[in-house]
Amino acid sequence: MAQTTHTHSVNIGDNNDGCGNITGSFNNIFNLSDGDAQIMRWLSPLEPQNRHQSVRTDRLGGVGDWLLETREFREWRGGEGGANKAVLFCSGNPGVGKTYLK
Amino acid sequence: MIDSLCDQVGDGDIAIAGLYCDFLAQQEQTITNIMGAILKQLVGRGDIPIDVRKAFQKAKREFGGRGPLLEDLMRMLRMAISSSPQVSICIDALDECLPKHLPKLLESLRDIVQKSPRTRIFLTGRPHVRGAIQRYFTGVAVISISPNMDDIRSYLDMRLDQDEDQDEAMDNDLRADILRTILDKMSDM
Repeated sequence: MAQTTHTHSVNIGDNNDGCGNITGSFNNIFNLSDGDAQIMRWLSPLEPQNRHQSVRTDRLGGVGDWLLETREFREWRGGEGGANKAVLFCSGNPGVGKTYLK
Repeated sequence: MIDSLCDQVGDGDIAIAGLYCDFLAQQEQTITNIMGAILKQLVGRGDIPIDVRKAFQKAKREFGGRGPLLEDLMRMLRMAISSSPQVSICIDALDECLPKHLPKLLESLRDIVQKSPRTRIFLTGRPHVRGAIQRYFTGVAVISISPNMDDIRSYLDMRLDQDEDQDEAMDNDLRADILRTILDKMSDM
């Protein structure tokens, strides 16, 4: 879906409560000292967690769940293939919803 | 995807870094900035590793503080990955990355995987970047995403329920009409 710019924010069934520290790390809600924050800015000015937060807020619960059940995803996630099976590529035309896969 | 990976672990033995490529931020999304963003997500979880601190201090002394070089970032990234049991790197919209940056980005990801084979790389993009990815990686698993009609239907239902401008014209017939028209259009994508 291409509706990435809609203004109504929705947060329905975004069932990520169990994420704990991991999401915490992505969303940058840890406390940094000024010095550490300076190091982070030096590493990169990009702040991907900001975009991530808006995507996960706008995402409708259950969207894209089918992908997690595919054989391709499970094999990739399992990691048995090592370096030869390291990459999973989700291919799709603009607006089909790749960004909003949970 | 990042959230799904988060949900599936939860015991803290995995680190996840993600990035959204964006046409509007192409100039800023250089290969060093991208790798730096991945690294900072990995090292920002706890104490910043000593090698990162040292590199920062050194750079600060040189030429009044210069940005990190790609080779330095890659070295720090390898260290950070090797001290984590498993790392997943998600990069969304590869096709929105500047074409001149793409080969170097894929090469850097390949370099990471070769040195840490347990690393998982999740990429999304338009179909045309598949060839580029396959030039750098063998055995790429590909999932084609097409509009999922059930997903779209539930999204439309939600939006119609929340529509604040709704007036008396809205009834079940109009609603069904809207759903049918949009779903028809989507099925052509």
